[in-house]
Amino acid sequence: MIRSLAWRNIWRNKMRSMVIMLSVAAGLFAGIAVLALYKGMMQSRVRTVIDSETGHLQIHQAGFTSDYDPSLLIPEKKTLQDKLSGDKRIKAYATRCIITGMLSNATGSAGVNINGFNSSEEVAVSQLGDKIQEGNVRWEESEKGILVGRKLAMKMKLEKGNKIVLTLTDTADNLISSAFRIKGIYQSANAPLDEINIYVKNKDLQDLIGLENGIHEIAIKLFEDEQVESVKQDYQMMFPQLQIQTWKEISPETDLLVRTVDTYSYIILVIILIALSFGIMNTMLMSVLERKHEIGMMLALGMSRNRLLLLIILESFFLTMAGIPVAVIAGLGAAGYYEKHGLDLSNMGTDLMESFGFDTMIYPSFPTEKITGIIVLVFITALVSSLLPAWKSLRLDPAEALQK
Amino acid sequence: MEKTVIDAHNISKTYNPDTIPVHAVNNVHLHLSSGEFVALVGPSGSGKTTLLNMIGGLDRPDSGSIYINDTDITRLSHKELVKFRLQNIGFVFQSYNLIPVLTARENAEFIMLLQGVSKEKRAERINTLFQQVGLNDKEDVRPAKLSGGQQQRVAVVRALASKPQFVLADEPTANLDTASASNLLDIMARLNEEENMTFIFSTHDQRVIDRARRVITLVDGEIFSDTKMTDKTGLLHSGNAL
Repeated sequence: MIRSLAWRNIWRNKMRSMVIMLSVAAGLFAGIAVLALYKGMMQSRVRTVIDSETGHLQIHQAGFTSDYDPSLLIPEKKTLQDKLSGDKRIKAYATRCIITGMLSNATGSAGVNINGFNSSEEVAVSQLGDKIQEGNVRWEESEKGILVGRKLAMKMKLEKGNKIVLTLTDTADNLISSAFRIKGIYQSANAPLDEINIYVKNKDLQDLIGLENGIHEIAIKLFEDEQVESVKQDYQMMFPQLQIQTWKEISPETDLLVRTVDTYSYIILVIILIALSFGIMNTMLMSVLERKHEIGMMLALGMSRNRLLLLIILESFFLTMAGIPVAVIAGLGAAGYYEKHGLDLSNMGTDLMESFGFDTMIYPSFPTEKITGIIVLVFITALVSSLLPAWKSLRLDPAEALQK
Repeated sequence: MEKTVIDAHNISKTYNPDTIPVHAVNNVHLHLSSGEFVALVGPSGSGKTTLLNMIGGLDRPDSGSIYINDTDITRLSHKELVKFRLQNIGFVFQSYNLIPVLTARENAEFIMLLQGVSKEKRAERINTLFQQVGLNDKEDVRPAKLSGGQQQRVAVVRALASKPQFVLADEPTANLDTASASNLLDIMARLNEEENMTFIFSTHDQRVIDRARRVITLVDGEIFSDTKMTDKTGLLHSGNAL
């Protein structure tokens, strides 16, 4: 009876109730849109990290990542590669030589990470081919070619075909320099990385610093994101002397960012709901004050204060919860549309987005896993909004209210 | 021998005791038995509504005691008093006070619902009462579509449905035309006789006074006279001015 009475009470003033329901729906839609946008951005960022920066897993000789000592090569390379090639969970892997050095030309010089790569492997693991804006990822074996990032090219005024000099120390700590010709300019979604990473062929780097066929890093791409931990454990057991890291360990800032943004998106939703709660409270307060006489009558007839409290809370609950289906349906529609067509945020500043490692084309994703959390937050909002009106009505003296 | 329903001893109520004291009810003694049909009359401000509120457990006297059957309601806690009202007292108000979003039947069932009476028992009781007051065809109609007289009849059914110890009716005919008032009084008189239900009216309305079998006149918060009548013609049976 109380439930039915509460539901009918909210429709006494249809216009007022509709306005507040639409406000709740609009506010929730805004919240869901923010969550969907953030989820899309984070998914995009994680995909960028996995697909074009780190891969799912990386294998190094233990201690290599501390100071990038070129002598710390991966042991048992052949055995490891055979295992990786036969593992059905692994989509592709890329072998790399890595050394720090200095790039110079007539304009100046810059410290860089020199990444030795095998083009056919790298195309599959880090999508290097897709990032090439000018030139090509493949060139003649006899040529000493190099790929530089757009950001570095702009800074050093480099163009395709220019000759540059790389200076580095070999495994015997000799300082050596060698000239390379720019074969391509690439651009990824992460401008800071583009400024420091340059790519040369594995063989050129191995010859230059005396690595023979040695490599420093193997980046692994899996078929399924969820298999990261199990693959890591399996290989760590097989090769305990190697350091095997997941993408979360290699790029902890990305993992932290995902978790932080999750918290921020809830904070934004809570702020929206706090603003809405004042509207709901105002509507409920008006509704209660308009019905003083009637509430006094119900108390006089013997309605307990607990039942009255329940009635007011239910009214507030219905008023608030009615907006949820509208917001969820609108959110599903909008997220579905933009998930398919993408949301171009280049107007917000491509440089700004790329400097934080984000693509400017975002594909928002409906935050299905957060819907329960949203409903709980809305429920709390309804409860909080009903407290003042409920308190007002509970304080009514039936004899006094009936006189008015 | 009629059973005592209300026994009020020496009750007083003063409003604004610290500023400008208003002695609404002053040392009133009242004894009512089951099946009585009583009109509480007097000029405005004479204390009728205050006395009615105190008997109905809506207000507490500053002093004195009010026994409903054997329970002193002045000693009940707030929570106990609410429950007591729900189980023992029926109210009929001047402005009907039906809940506008409920149908006539739902309004009539309201107290029984609060009491937790089963659906079958509610239906049986409401059907009987609606038939007695002639509202069978209006049970699914909301109050806004009922006339004043019909609304007050629904209010009477609501008050009687739970079979209270007595019904307090505060100016029940004040907003009704002559025909509706007469019809309502007929119904209440019949229910009084058929169900031996005690009715206490607070009223200015001569039509109610004419139908009452006992008229208590209040002046300045005190009982001025208490007169018992024998029949509807108003023939004096016994009376005394206090």
